[in-house]
Amino acid sequence: MEIQTEQFTAAVKRELQNARSRAFLKVMPPVLNMKRDIGLSTFPNIDAAQAYGAAIRQEAMARLPELLEEFEKNALANGAKVFWARDAKEANETILQLAKERGVKYVTKGKSMVTEEMGLNEILSKNGVEPWETDLGEFIAQQLHRPPFHIVGPAINVAVEEVRDLFMAKANMKEPTLDPVQLGYAARLFLRDKFHHVQMGITGVNMAVAETGTIINVENEGNIRLTKSSPKTQVSVMSLEKVVPTMKDALHMIRLLSRNCTGQKLTAYVSMDSGPKKKDEIDGPEELFILIIDNGRTKIYQDLKARDALRCIRCAACLNICPVYGQIGGYAYGWAYSGPMGQVLNPLLLGLDRTQDLYRATTLCGACKSVCPVGIDHPSMFLYYRSKDVLGDPYWKGKKRPSSEKRFFKAWISAVTRAWLWNLGIRMVRPLINKDVHDGVISKMKGPFQGWFRTRDLPAMAAKTFHDRWKEIKSREAQGEGYRV
Amino acid sequence: MKNVSLFIPCTVNLFLPHIGEATVILLRRLGINPVYHEEQTCCGQPAINAGYQKEAQKAAKHFIKVFGDDEQVVSPSGSCVCTVKYHYPELFENEPEWRRRAEELAPRMFELSQYLVDVLNVEDVGASFAGKVTYHESCHILRGLGVSEQPKKLIKAVQGTQLVPLNAAESCCGFGGEFANNFPDISESMVKDKVENYLSSGADLLLLCEPGCLLNIGGFLSRNHPGKKAMHLANFLAPNGREGQ
Amino acid sequence: MQQHSAREEILQKLKTAPKQSLSPRPDLPPLSELSMTQEEMIHRFTERLVEETGVVYRVQNNQGALEKLAEIARAEGLKKVMVSTDDVLATLDLPAWGKRNDVTVMTPHDFPNRDSFRDAVFNEAQAGITGADFAVAESGTLGLIHNKDQARLVSLAPILHIAIVPVERMNPIYERVVDQVFGNLKPLPSQFLFITGPSMTGDIQGVLFKGMHGPRKVIVILVG
Repeated sequence: MEIQTEQFTAAVKRELQNARSRAFLKVMPPVLNMKRDIGLSTFPNIDAAQAYGAAIRQEAMARLPELLEEFEKNALANGAKVFWARDAKEANETILQLAKERGVKYVTKGKSMVTEEMGLNEILSKNGVEPWETDLGEFIAQQLHRPPFHIVGPAINVAVEEVRDLFMAKANMKEPTLDPVQLGYAARLFLRDKFHHVQMGITGVNMAVAETGTIINVENEGNIRLTKSSPKTQVSVMSLEKVVPTMKDALHMIRLLSRNCTGQKLTAYVSMDSGPKKKDEIDGPEELFILIIDNGRTKIYQDLKARDALRCIRCAACLNICPVYGQIGGYAYGWAYSGPMGQVLNPLLLGLDRTQDLYRATTLCGACKSVCPVGIDHPSMFLYYRSKDVLGDPYWKGKKRPSSEKRFFKAWISAVTRAWLWNLGIRMVRPLINKDVHDGVISKMKGPFQGWFRTRDLPAMAAKTFHDRWKEIKSREAQGEGYRV
Repeated sequence: MKNVSLFIPCTVNLFLPHIGEATVILLRRLGINPVYHEEQTCCGQPAINAGYQKEAQKAAKHFIKVFGDDEQVVSPSGSCVCTVKYHYPELFENEPEWRRRAEELAPRMFELSQYLVDVLNVEDVGASFAGKVTYHESCHILRGLGVSEQPKKLIKAVQGTQLVPLNAAESCCGFGGEFANNFPDISESMVKDKVENYLSSGADLLLLCEPGCLLNIGGFLSRNHPGKKAMHLANFLAPNGREGQ
Repeated sequence: MQQHSAREEILQKLKTAPKQSLSPRPDLPPLSELSMTQEEMIHRFTERLVEETGVVYRVQNNQGALEKLAEIARAEGLKKVMVSTDDVLATLDLPAWGKRNDVTVMTPHDFPNRDSFRDAVFNEAQAGITGADFAVAESGTLGLIHNKDQARLVSLAPILHIAIVPVERMNPIYERVVDQVFGNLKPLPSQFLFITGPSMTGDIQGVLFKGMHGPRKVIVILVG
């Protein structure tokens, strides 16, 4: 997937003008948030349930290598084959080879963000294996060549008119319609044919259970089940942080995932695979390949603070509550991962230099942190990235800051640590700040503050600061005038 | 008379000193003697937010030196209090002595409404206001400090006041310090929504406990809806009046 | 060789990374379903599944189940169905039922290979009928162990899924079920599946509807 994280500002401008996105964002996230609240209320203690989820994922990360080995051992004992890939190139090549060896002409795909990260679809189609996204939203996004608008509903903002035109042109739809149900049915018919004859299916993995060597997928549509059960070959791709210790842990996480994501108690289907089909079964894969991919995560793992980012289970609760996402939608984030979790993950996978705006475009309001079922402290991560960027940290590709900013903070801290200099600085700066005051209000100011003054005023800097006024209070008191303000 | 140390944020010191004055009046009225250390400058939040750890550490050390011996410190702001309580200990990961001092100071820091209700056990401060008001839940106060009931109790105890609900009260107003200036398109969109919700609430006045939010929302109102006002809770509870001798 | 080195490199990097200490897990209050009686569980199961537009019938015994099935076949206009050969359905003799009710009953065993079975279940079956190994009250969920008598596509490809579930198989929460499957079975089933209602999506403008790629309708007949 093309990386456009450096076009954040331009994308934001565009998206804020997009009436369709704005109308959608006014309605959908609030509805999802309401559903989330209702779904979570079935826990006797919501905070305890979320804290337990955080503990599970924390343990999974703390014990990651040993859990991956345990998972592999058990998966192999179940008859699965396990591949490891250091990066996207290795992963894509492995999958392509599996397809070519088996004479596969097309694959059906269950929704998998890591394969978007890998750019798998491009490699497959360039090499004569046609990838068909089958999750309805992914299918629409794929056919429209559009990046995902939301990590769970990637094309959820696309107008029905566009979907109709797309399906008439590309999905054999005979009768035009604007009814989402009819459109969905048209997609069902079109993709059903693909499922019917598919020889190899590719899925992601929501959870890999170390205890039993089982991979788990959650879905509502049935496309993952079909992708797993119809063809002879199943390839399931997991980024290495997907592992959890036990089956019981996995169940708790699935509860949290379903309820945080869409408010459902459980998604329509939860399929748990422990190896390929048995000899006497008539459907299911004869070969199950599990591909464990790194693609930058061992690097994240080395940094104890960054490591927390690997807990994420892609529930999208943070997207739905984020006031910034609620204004700009998913396109602006520029890659496979959007919203606050994208702001946490993209800088670690792509480098701080290529994602400068992503960890700055936040008010640190903390709404994301407050809903996260795995206890990620997004605001703290953003501050961490900013400090690494200031240092020009080579590990994370910090870019360093403009020298004017560095000079400002040098001067600022000189004053902050010396009250006399601080107060002198205030006196000196006041006439500059108050240059264009009218009626006690500043409506414009030269310099780097144009962003503020476009639609806001500022009170004039007070002729007497609180500091000055306090001195007056004290002096009046000392002179026996009594205490008055 | 009991003393309490006053921590006045830069935003208040420079642009909104009447909030500081109202805080002083309020505390005196309740029998508390506010003490203002004149050596105080800035808690360092701008440096923390911009990623300048070294500078932030220096600012934190200065703050701890100024306030470190106080039994209790109160501030008409949530974000500054959060900075001291939560960020200072983190800043000193590698300096155990400073870390200890920061951790000792943390529980002694209070946002104003938190101090009035939880420490002084006061809800009725003797104020009155005839009209409808509504309350914006600032991010650092609500989510950072877990303070939400306290301001509302104080508001409801004001004679003649009717507290009406604010749609999306918990949603960020779009200030975020440098965010408002560096991402103005998004910030404007957010403050616009906040103000729309205020206007449709039917309230005569929007109250809040965070000076940053006041500058943002108040600044937008001043430019676009000059008749509508936003006010800090301190000024609502202690309207400018002279303290008796 | 490349495989081996990829694996080694990844594991090596993870193993030599800084260690984290583990805190003990916090307390987790038990879910309310754990203290339910069987009748309460059946009620909760029904409530939850109906919320997802599932249809739930309760009958006394196998006879009742077959009668209900005949009713459903008439109402849905079923002429050709695919049925599993699991232990629940084995006691019902569905092929005989089919003859009595003018419904062609196919089973996966009728087919010589996976492709011919696949063709039939995709193109010819108007409904898939299965038993279920478990029912879970917590969310109106069915649990199916897939094996030679429980082919996967039976409950997936046709647009209607009918499941017949003895009430003794009702469990309060998923963990109970998973204990029985993953705690006991050796080898582990190739696939274990939780089904909660029909397939669905909200991917077009957030408009929710049932029947995306899997069944559009799920009917559960509780027996007992």
